[in-house]
Amino acid sequence: MTDRSEKKLNLSITNPTVFEAVKMIIALLIAFVIMFGVLCLISDNPVHAFVTILTGPFAKRRYFGAVIESFIPYAFAGLAAGILFKSGAFNLGAEGIYIISGVAVAAVACTAVTTSHFLHPILCILAAAAVGGVLMIIPSFLKAKFGTNEMVVSLMLNSIYSGIAMHLIRKYLLTKTTSTIGSRDYLKTAKIGYIFEPLRISPCLVLLIVCTIILYLVMYKTRLGYQIRLAGANPKFAEYSGISAFKLSIATAAIAGVLAGTGSACQLLTQSSFYQPDKTAVGIGFSGMLLAMLGRNNPIGIVIASFLIKYLEQGANVLYFSDTSVPSEITAIIEGIVILLISSQYFLRGLREKKLLQEGLGKNAR
Amino acid sequence: MAETILKLDKVTKVYPNGTVANRDINMEFEKGEIHSIVGENGAGKSTLMKMIFGIEAPSSGTITYKGQETHFASSMDAIKAGIGMVHQHFMLIPSFSIVDNIILGDEPKNGIFIDRKEATRKTQEVSDKYNFELDVTAKVSTLSVAKRQKVEILKTLYREAELIILDEPTSVLTPQETEQLFVQLRSLQAQGHTILFISHKLEEVKKISDRISVIRNGVSKGTYRNDELTMEQLTNLIIGRDLENDLDEFKTNEDFHNEKALIVENLSMERNGKPALNNVSFAVKKGEILGIAGVEGNGQVDLVRCITGLEKIKYDGKIIINNTDTTGMNIKARRDLKMAYIPEDRMGDGTAGKLPISDNIISTYYTRDDVNSGMFMDGKAIDRISNDLIETFAVKTSSNKTAVGSLSGGNIQKVVVAREYNTKPTFMIAEQPTHGIDIGSAEFVHHKLIEMRNAGAGILLVSADLNEVIDLSDRVIVMFDGEIAGYFPDANDINESNLGMYMLGAKKQTAEEIGGALND
Repeated sequence: MTDRSEKKLNLSITNPTVFEAVKMIIALLIAFVIMFGVLCLISDNPVHAFVTILTGPFAKRRYFGAVIESFIPYAFAGLAAGILFKSGAFNLGAEGIYIISGVAVAAVACTAVTTSHFLHPILCILAAAAVGGVLMIIPSFLKAKFGTNEMVVSLMLNSIYSGIAMHLIRKYLLTKTTSTIGSRDYLKTAKIGYIFEPLRISPCLVLLIVCTIILYLVMYKTRLGYQIRLAGANPKFAEYSGISAFKLSIATAAIAGVLAGTGSACQLLTQSSFYQPDKTAVGIGFSGMLLAMLGRNNPIGIVIASFLIKYLEQGANVLYFSDTSVPSEITAIIEGIVILLISSQYFLRGLREKKLLQEGLGKNAR
Repeated sequence: MAETILKLDKVTKVYPNGTVANRDINMEFEKGEIHSIVGENGAGKSTLMKMIFGIEAPSSGTITYKGQETHFASSMDAIKAGIGMVHQHFMLIPSFSIVDNIILGDEPKNGIFIDRKEATRKTQEVSDKYNFELDVTAKVSTLSVAKRQKVEILKTLYREAELIILDEPTSVLTPQETEQLFVQLRSLQAQGHTILFISHKLEEVKKISDRISVIRNGVSKGTYRNDELTMEQLTNLIIGRDLENDLDEFKTNEDFHNEKALIVENLSMERNGKPALNNVSFAVKKGEILGIAGVEGNGQVDLVRCITGLEKIKYDGKIIINNTDTTGMNIKARRDLKMAYIPEDRMGDGTAGKLPISDNIISTYYTRDDVNSGMFMDGKAIDRISNDLIETFAVKTSSNKTAVGSLSGGNIQKVVVAREYNTKPTFMIAEQPTHGIDIGSAEFVHHKLIEMRNAGAGILLVSADLNEVIDLSDRVIVMFDGEIAGYFPDANDINESNLGMYMLGAKKQTAEEIGGALND
C-alpha cells in the first residue's frame, strides 16, 4: 500500500498545529504592541526602553549569563507542572515541593557527607528529588483513594510544607549569625561550579537538557507517556481502554515531584549560599504553571518559554539601570497577555472558521 | 395554497471543526401541516432544527418565520415567537412535578412568589384542552417515557407554540406508544398547529406526514407530497441508491460446537438501593449474534458495565468470558480474555477527541508487541497499522494524525470499531453500534460485525433500534425492568408488535421459556 505519512504537509490554518503556532506568534506580537503602548505612557524614551528590553541581555556577557542561570529552576518547575497538566491532574503542589525539598538540599549541603566536590552536589540533588517525588504523590493518592480535590489539597500542602520547612530550618540548621530565619552556609564541597564561567553555564544546564529530552521521549515515545496523554485527554476513555488511573496518577506525580525537587536543588546550589525557606525558592513553583501553559505542556515548548520569559525579565532589569521609570515587572504584561490569548478559545477562531467555511463549501458533496 | 409559516432560504451551517452540516437549504412549511424531514443519521436534520429553534445560528442564508426574518439569539427568542421543540433527549427535571417543569423559566408570579395555584390551573387547562390525560401535580420521575414526552409537548403548548418541532420523537417509544403519539399529533394539527416531524424511520413518516422533505449529506433533495412518493422512491432519495436490507445473506453458518463466548449466570445488582438487574442469565455462543432489545434504561447499561468490568458496584452471580470466571477482574484483565467492547458513548468512552486517529486506534492494545519495540512505542508501526485500518474501514480523513473529534460521527464510530476489530476478539459487545451515524457507515459496521460473527466471534448486541436487533441478531432477548422478559430463539420469526409487548412489560415469558437464553 502507499505510505500516506509522506503526504504533503498541510500548512493551512485549518491544520490544528499550524493554527496553534500562528496563534502563539500573533499573541506574542500583540503582547509586544501593548507593552510598547505601556512604555509610551510611563517612559520618556519608549523606543529606547523597548529596544533595551528586547536586546539588553546581549549587551554584556554576564547579563546573558544571568538569563542562563536563572531560567533553569523555572524550566524545571514548568516541566513538573506540564506533565501534571498533561495527565489531567490539577495538582498545584510544585511550589510547596520547591520549598520543602530545599530543606533536604540544605540538610545534605550543610553536612560533611563526603569530601568530593563531584559527589556532594549529586547527593544534594538526589535527596531533593527523592523528597519531591514522595511528597508530590500525596494529593494524587488522596484523590484516588478518598476522592478529595487535588487542587485544594495541593494548595493546602503548599502552606503546610512552608511551615514545616521554617520549623525544620529553625530547629536543626539555624544560622547563628543573622537575625532572619535561614540555614547555615552550605559546605564548600556542595556548591555547583561552572563549566563555562563567563556565561554562567553550570552542570545544571546539562541536567535540564537531559531531563527535557528524557521527558519528551517519555511523553511522546513510551507507553507511560501514551497513557498519560490518553488519561489527560479523556480519563473515561483511558479507563475504558484498561489503563489504571490510580497507578498512572501516582507515577505522574512522582515524576513531577522529582523534577521539582531537582529544580529546587539547582536553584539553591547555584544561586544561594544558604537556605531561607521564605525567600530562596519562593514563587518558582507557581511561575512554573504559567510557563507550562505558555509551552502548551510540551517539554521543549516549556523550556523555550522559560528562557524567553527570563530573557525579557533580564532585559527589563538592564533597562532599569538606565531608565528607573520602568519597573522590571513590565514583562509580566507579556506573560499575562500571551497566556490570556493562547488559552482563549475565541482568539482567532473567526479567522479559522472562515477558512473552514470556504474549504467546506469548496468540497464537493459526498 | 395554504399560508407559509416558515421559510428557509439558502441556509448553510458550517461547524467550527469544518463539518458542513447544511448547505444551501431551501424549504417552505405551510401552516397546519405535518411536515416530515427525513434523512440518514448525520444528514443534517438536527442541525437544521437547531437553527430554526435558535440554538445555532446559520453561517449564511435566512430563515423567515411568519413573514419576518428571524435572528434568534437563543431558543428563548424562538419560544417567544411561537416555536416549540421537543428534543430527542428530554429536558425535564425528574424530581420536579409536571407543573414545575412546565412553568420553569416562565413562572406565573404573585408578588415575588410563584403562583402555584394559577400555574396548576393553567397547566391542567392546557392538558385537558388537548386531551393529554395527565395529572399535572405528579412527579416526572414517576412517569413513563411516553408520558414524559407528553409533558415535553405540553410544555411547548403552554408557551403557546404554533410550530412544534419533534426531533426523533419515536426513537424512545414502543410501537404501541408511537400509535398514541400519532393520534395526539393529528389532534394538534386539527387545532391549527404546524408540526415538524424529524425521523429516520420511513414507515412512520409515511404514516403521519402531509408533506416530506428529504435531506442528504446536508443538502435538500426536495419537498414532496406524501401521496406522490412510494417507499422505494423515498428510500432512494434519502440514501441515493437502493438499500441492501437483508443482512442474513452475508451470514455463513459454520459449526463452532456450541462453544460459549459469554455465560452470564444469575446476575443481580443494586444501584441506589433499587434492584438494577435481577437474576439475569443468558449465554452468547461463538459464531452468533445475540441481540438485547428493550426500551432504554431497563438494565442494559448496567448489564454491559458488569460484563466489561467497568462497574464499580459489586454484583451477585457469575460472568464467564471465554471459559474464564471473571469475578474480581478489572476491564484490562477481561480484555486480555479476548473481549472487545464498542461503547454506546463514542465520544465520552470510546475516543479522546483531541488526540489523533493514530493514538485512538491503538488504545486497547497499546502494550501489544506489534506497536512497540523495546522500551519505546514503534511510531512507524503505529502509522502503518492506523493507515491500514483507515483504509480497510474507509474512514474519511486527510491523515492518521487528524484529531478524532473533528471527524463526523460515522467516521468516529468506524475508528472505534476498527480498533476493537483489531484486538481480534472472540467475544465482542456492541452497544448501540450505529446510533446516530449515517446509513453508509451503519451498513459498514453491520457487515464488519457479521464478518466477525462468521469468523467465530460471539457478539452481544445491545440496541434501542428494533430493526437493527432483528436484522442483525441470530437470537434475541428482551429486557424489561432489569430482568429478561422474553427470549426469541430465532430472530427471523419475530413479530415487531409482539416484541413491543415484552419491551413494555405487558407480557412476560415463563422462567422455563427464558431459560433457553442460557441453555439453547
